[in-house]
Amino acid sequence: MKKNLFNVLTLLVLASALLSACAGAAPATPVEKVKVVIFVGMGTGTDPDQVDAQNKLAEKFNSTHDNIEIEFLIVPHEEYATRYLAMLSGGNAPQLVGPNGISSVAEFFDTWEDITPYIEAEKLDLSDFYGPAVALNQYPDKNTGLPLGLYPSYLYYNKDLFDAAGLDYPTHDFEDKSWNMDKLREVAMQLTVDKNGKNATDADFDPENIVQYGYDDSWDGMRGTLADWGAENVGRPTTSDYKTAVADSPEWIQGLQWVSDGVWKDHFIGSAEVQAGRDSAGVDPFGPGTTGMFYSHTWYLAEGLHDLTFSADIAPYPYNPKGERIARIDADNFTIPKDAKNKQQAWEVMKWLTSPEIIVDVCRIYGCIPARKSVQAKFLEQLKTDYPGIDYDVIFKSIDYLDKPNNEEWIPEWGKIEDALNNGLSLIYSGEEKDATKVLTDSNAEVQKILDEYWASH
Amino acid sequence: MQSSLKPSRLSLARRESLWAYAFIAPWILGFIIFTVGPMLASLFFSFTEYDVVSSPRWIGLKNYTNLIHDELFWHSLSITFRYAAIALPLGLVFSYLIAVLLNQKIRGINIWRTVYFLPSVIAGVAVALLWSRIFDARSGILNPFLAQLGIKGPGWFSDPDWAIPALVIMSLWGVGGNIIIYLAGLQGVPTDLYDAAKVDGATAWQRFRYVTLPMTTPVIFYNLVLGLIGTFQYFTEVYVISSGNSGTGGGLGGPARSTLFYNIYLYQNAFRYFHMGYASTMAWVLFIIVLGFTLLIFRSSDTWVYYEGQLKGR
Repeated sequence: MKKNLFNVLTLLVLASALLSACAGAAPATPVEKVKVVIFVGMGTGTDPDQVDAQNKLAEKFNSTHDNIEIEFLIVPHEEYATRYLAMLSGGNAPQLVGPNGISSVAEFFDTWEDITPYIEAEKLDLSDFYGPAVALNQYPDKNTGLPLGLYPSYLYYNKDLFDAAGLDYPTHDFEDKSWNMDKLREVAMQLTVDKNGKNATDADFDPENIVQYGYDDSWDGMRGTLADWGAENVGRPTTSDYKTAVADSPEWIQGLQWVSDGVWKDHFIGSAEVQAGRDSAGVDPFGPGTTGMFYSHTWYLAEGLHDLTFSADIAPYPYNPKGERIARIDADNFTIPKDAKNKQQAWEVMKWLTSPEIIVDVCRIYGCIPARKSVQAKFLEQLKTDYPGIDYDVIFKSIDYLDKPNNEEWIPEWGKIEDALNNGLSLIYSGEEKDATKVLTDSNAEVQKILDEYWASH
Repeated sequence: MQSSLKPSRLSLARRESLWAYAFIAPWILGFIIFTVGPMLASLFFSFTEYDVVSSPRWIGLKNYTNLIHDELFWHSLSITFRYAAIALPLGLVFSYLIAVLLNQKIRGINIWRTVYFLPSVIAGVAVALLWSRIFDARSGILNPFLAQLGIKGPGWFSDPDWAIPALVIMSLWGVGGNIIIYLAGLQGVPTDLYDAAKVDGATAWQRFRYVTLPMTTPVIFYNLVLGLIGTFQYFTEVYVISSGNSGTGGGLGGPARSTLFYNIYLYQNAFRYFHMGYASTMAWVLFIIVLGFTLLIFRSSDTWVYYEGQLKGR
């Protein structure tokens, strides 16, 4: 028994010695990487091609970083609000959210971290970013994120339809003030054609059987539709203190009446029925080749300007009746939720995504213009490869005419007011009400009521 | 060995009860954790201002009083009532008539029964997408069909006046579940009652009116209660159809708020406006409304539901 015990103890001692010796030679335990989850779905980024590109981007990051690992969490756009709120309330906030448009930044405004302390701690130089891009992320009480990209707006036009109608293409000269809303209406009517080939200026034009429309701006809501008409508060339906509704400004009424007449009197804009048909068929307004001019942003480059069966180009948005040119803009960033864990690592990833070395790749995924001046030449070369034959100057020059206050920027009760205004727009497009004054007077009263309720409890 | 033969100190009935509780325990636990718990939480939230981001703040009955002054609350309630007033009776009658037809002894009846039941197993999202294409005024198949009859089809989901009728028509697509229940009820009617009625000279209509209908009132009652609850919970189809609306279509609940059902407005308050407390209040008010109507139906059932073998007053 004693002998057995001795043998066992000897074996144990030997085993311990062996293990100790091996321990010294064993490789060091790898440092555990901190995971940064990037929530995608608030805006663009969920198309299959984009998902693949984002996964490749994640591989690129993960292979070059030892301490942080990123993962793109793709959420269907229609579920973004419920999923994001569920993650927040479950104490499982993603580390980064993006790409966020100005509207989704506004929609969840209170949930974002202020990144000012991070910028100040590192004395990060923001001078390479376009000024408007920085400004669009800067709110009185917080900076929501480093700028990623800008989405200026302009007209996409179908050259084949212009040729068929014997019309000159819209001017690309930003100084040409004859290119105004009246001229746009005139051209759009000539591009609107019924099944008999008559255009909307012909006396025997058949508005019941239109096969081709002159103009479309159906991808935007009321604020975006009317931001370019030169109202004092531009794209904001309230005064600067957010206490008084100004959605019934003369400029907005004039703009909405122009739209209403465009749909119901001059027939160059498709009604809600036309828009619904496109929505249910899953086609965009421009791609099928039955719209002469489509007012949209650079995101349409990535989403629609591929495989067109016709020749297309882009032109500046016209001057408004006040003789000003305003071309609404959108901007993307990545934001850090206040409740996220590992915010410092999230900040590192945000910096990487917006760094001069990576920002062009990221913007190519999402269709935005990189917010850094230093990469403009590189991006332009890329544009020429991806979208040959369009006037790239229009894209960059349009940035100078952005709407400020922006049509998507934060206001109190952002979603509620947005819905109230868009209800007014749908009254016009559905034909329930064609008088813009009536619609905007009612909408303004509703917005004022919402503001009053908000301020009563804040 | 000996111990297994020992008589248990528990009676058979007691042991069976314990086993029964053991077997239903997972369900009860699930019910408490996933249903009762959230219900109580939402009851608490209904007395608070809660935006998910900040902690809930107790505001007493303010959400309930605000509801009374909220025009959209009343609007959404009226939309839901209007839909229920048309879709519920129409669905009950339509499915009953189909069930009566499917209760006939004809060749291939099982195939017909399958055909009528199949649509009800398709998920609501798929149904909504399918019907949004059918109803599409420009490229759908319904309006060209109406045009053949000389009728100009409306814009359906893009026309505020026609959105509700379109949803009502769409709801008839899913009556297969009702049909199966009616069919079971119809097949349970004793044949000797029909034989007796025939001997007494009753016509087909009289047999239906005085035998079939009274004998199937329990299943009509059942379908009515479930249909009422389902109608007031109507959400998925409208969400799918109107969430695709761009700004020009008025977004969720559009066009022109014509499909702003109660649950859509509740959803907007919870997940778009971040008024989770207010949305909880709406959920409890809906619960009370549905409970009220259900109790009303139960109370009225004494006068129109006939249970075979039931003694009055018991």
